[in-house]
Amino acid sequence: MRIFNGLTLGAGLLATIVSIPAHAEDAAKVAAIVKGLDNPFFQTMQKGIEEQAKADGVGVTVQAAANMGDATGQADRLTAMALQDFDCYLVNPISVSNLVQALVPVAQKKKPIVNIDSTIDAEQAKAAGFAVSTYIGTDNVAAGALAGEEMLKLVPKGGKVALVAGIVGDVGSNARIKGFKQAVEGKLEVVVMVSADWDREKALTAATDILAAHPDLAGFFAANDIMALGVERAVQTSGKDVKVIGLDGIVDALKSVAAGELSATVAQYPYVVGAMGVEACKAAVKGKQLPAYVPAPVLLINKDNAEASLKNFPRPGGEYPDPLREMLK
Amino acid sequence: MSAVSPSSASDAIIACDGLSKHFGGVRAFTDVAFQARRGEVTAVIGDNGAGKSTLIRCLVGVHVPDAGSIVFDGREHPFSNPDGARKAGIETVHQNLALIDELTVAQNLFLNRELVRRIGPFAFLDRKAMKREARSMLSRLSINVPSINQRVRRLSGGQRQAISICRAVGSGAKLVVMDEPTAALGVQETANVEALIRRLREQSVSVILVSHNFDQVRRLSDQIWVMRAGKMAATVRASETSGNELVALVTGAA
Amino acid sequence: MSNPTNNAPAAHSAGAPEESRPSLSALLLDPSFWADWASVVGLVGLVIIFGIAQPVFLSVANLQALLLASAILVVLSIGQTFVVATSGIDLSLAAAVMFGAIVLGLVNAAGYGILIACVLAVLATSAIGFLNGLIITVGKIPDFVVTLGTLSAITGLGLILSGGEPTMVGSTFLLKLASGSFGPFGYPVWVAISAVIVAHIALYHTRFGVHLLATGGQTESAGALGIRTNRVKIAAYTISGFCAGIAAILLVARIGSAEPLINTSLLLNSVAAVVLGGVSLFGGRASILGPAIGALMLTALVNGLTLLSVSAFYQPLAVGAIVVLAALIMRYQK
Ligand SMILES: Nc1ncnc2c1ncn2[C@@H]1O[C@H](COP(=O)(O)OP(=O)(O)OP(=O)(O)O)[C@@H](O)[C@H]1O
Ligand SMILES: [Mg+2]
Repeated sequence: MRIFNGLTLGAGLLATIVSIPAHAEDAAKVAAIVKGLDNPFFQTMQKGIEEQAKADGVGVTVQAAANMGDATGQADRLTAMALQDFDCYLVNPISVSNLVQALVPVAQKKKPIVNIDSTIDAEQAKAAGFAVSTYIGTDNVAAGALAGEEMLKLVPKGGKVALVAGIVGDVGSNARIKGFKQAVEGKLEVVVMVSADWDREKALTAATDILAAHPDLAGFFAANDIMALGVERAVQTSGKDVKVIGLDGIVDALKSVAAGELSATVAQYPYVVGAMGVEACKAAVKGKQLPAYVPAPVLLINKDNAEASLKNFPRPGGEYPDPLREMLK
Repeated sequence: MSAVSPSSASDAIIACDGLSKHFGGVRAFTDVAFQARRGEVTAVIGDNGAGKSTLIRCLVGVHVPDAGSIVFDGREHPFSNPDGARKAGIETVHQNLALIDELTVAQNLFLNRELVRRIGPFAFLDRKAMKREARSMLSRLSINVPSINQRVRRLSGGQRQAISICRAVGSGAKLVVMDEPTAALGVQETANVEALIRRLREQSVSVILVSHNFDQVRRLSDQIWVMRAGKMAATVRASETSGNELVALVTGAA
Repeated sequence: MSNPTNNAPAAHSAGAPEESRPSLSALLLDPSFWADWASVVGLVGLVIIFGIAQPVFLSVANLQALLLASAILVVLSIGQTFVVATSGIDLSLAAAVMFGAIVLGLVNAAGYGILIACVLAVLATSAIGFLNGLIITVGKIPDFVVTLGTLSAITGLGLILSGGEPTMVGSTFLLKLASGSFGPFGYPVWVAISAVIVAHIALYHTRFGVHLLATGGQTESAGALGIRTNRVKIAAYTISGFCAGIAAILLVARIGSAEPLINTSLLLNSVAAVVLGGVSLFGGRASILGPAIGALMLTALVNGLTLLSVSAFYQPLAVGAIVVLAALIMRYQK
């Protein structure tokens, strides 16, 4: 009976891939759910969570949505984890509301909820009868502004710049673009803004068109590194000297900056966001009062510090403020 | 004798005039006049590709002819689709049998003529009644199938043909059209179908029969129409013709 | 036709074999039995494996959560089933859900009542389905192309209407719908159960159902018998759109907002559930219970793997393996 073979095979497969998280008897157990692992950003975040948990002697289980659009799938997974006996829930929601209902049973069990990276809408959480213990994340507006300030140094006053945004309406993309615009307001001329869906190839195509339309363009700002690398390729092909700044600080971008291709990137540290999340959980389980908002570090990377950043990746190139670590001491 | 006689439509159950049908560049037939008398068995013969099936399919509403007129039971433009034709009282055994492989024998027998029970505004299939009816339809024609709940896909070619014939004759139609109904049948089954056609004639049901078997055609039919290369070439009374003459008419050697 | 008195013995011979049922062991040895019941067997197998490996899986709370989580997919799989039964496919299903959600959110945000918003959402998605069917049948364009086109077009329309921004829907009605329950099941589960019952009746107990299968099996033959195959196909796509609308309401209720995000896994899983449910992709063969259980099985798979702390990387692999396995078993279908 083929089906039985299939089932036993399935069971065997399951047994081999199920890794029971190792942790000490009385150590805190953390359930973490992040966005889709189809993106290096969240893979790095997962790494930060897992390594910090190991270092702190905390047990952790990391789950993720099937992809960045799988809002309900993420909620389903959290619902399943909420049934299990975890001490703290570390959540990075796909949207501001998709995890709200799944968190209700968590709140009822009075387990701390640590919100990282993307926010949960406070109003909806309140309506559902809970509040998150803390939010740890990078300020995208500030990161965009850092990129804008760097652009001001790189191109002459009044120079023309083009903006490449992510998926239309993405909150993170909007905030980054907003920060950049605020920083260059009145000092540079933004000639065009396009949306390239976080996609390298789309960004390349768009940048090629923009370069053709604006021969005197001085700079590009792309809302993430993947798109910045696509733009940089277009700039290289055109043979022009146009500055390109990205945002995220992924390895490829750091290498590109070190090689003198990308002018700069603003590094965020998903690794640190994940790690700080674990620290926050540990502190919360110990009964510590957490600050409502803990900013995660952002750092401008240009030719001067790209090598150092690469060496330390995915950790920041240098020290960074971490109030949670202080709290655990 | 071999000239096509113009119709005096009053005694015709169905008649057409100036009928043409093209498929893109392919000319199936042009300017065809044809009629079938009420209560008679009317045969249509002709070589492969002569246009017989297409003519039939135009008459029963499957194809819309490019030109020409059709009169059924005294009504002009009687229907514009197969549903209309069936409602008007024409049942057809198509050359491809028009069976749905994945449906059961009973479902095929009642396809688009399902028995329903009404509950308020809703109509639900009366599956029991249909199965009961299906059994009696099959038994009346001594058709043997393993089960009426059997999917048609698993039936033999002859069984499939029998189901299609059973569907056409089982519902009290005024005109039964059969496109090569005995093509896949054995000797015994062919004899059964021929007996069935005679019985229909006794009950004064009109029949149109397409066949390549000239003996069968002469045995069964009253009037024979001959198609050749998309034209209606001739029509003869079955009683006044011979097998050799039919061969000559079909091949155009006459 | 002539001598009805004569029919009793023959009728018996025609109907006799169906009454004799094959023995249980013969049934269990017949590969086509397993093929017909693939989704049930799969679900039972998963429940046993997960139940042993992680007892929480069988807890009442988890089973309730599992059913709740599967409601949206069940409803979508039903819609997809109707289309696949006509030997078509609706690739715009997930996009239609997104569009319905956005219509719901915007109408609600514009100050109309939530019921009006829900009705308009369902009307909008049904219209999308109707259009799909109309273009496919009247335009004689392959379903694949048309629904791929609508997928893109309504994605764009959704983005334009919403400005790319999510809309909060803070309706207490929807909150109750999502979190309330009647008897052992949450309301969304009841919605899914009702959908299954209505669809099952429509498929097996109405003329439309037979005509749908006939159209999917052999369109030309069905047409020759007077079935309006174009209308049947349009109806199937409209039903699919309608289901997308119901799913959109459940989705907005569940996540509390209408978002211009397309969940591609919903589309893929709806097709997978249909395949698991033993529905032939070539049309003509369908069931409602099969795909519904297929949807349940896919949800149980994710739920169980999550409870077992299996990394998200392995989950799509497991889903893929199961679907391909099911397709292989399906080759033995009767
Ligand atoms: N649906 C169609 N599309 C295109 N061409 C068609 C179609 N149906 C029939 N034809 C063409 O019309 C012509 C007549 O075909 P038809 O089937 O009427 O012949 P026939 O006399 O029934 O032949 P046979 O004895 O082999 O059944 C043929 O050349 C055929 O190729
Ligand atoms: Mg023919």
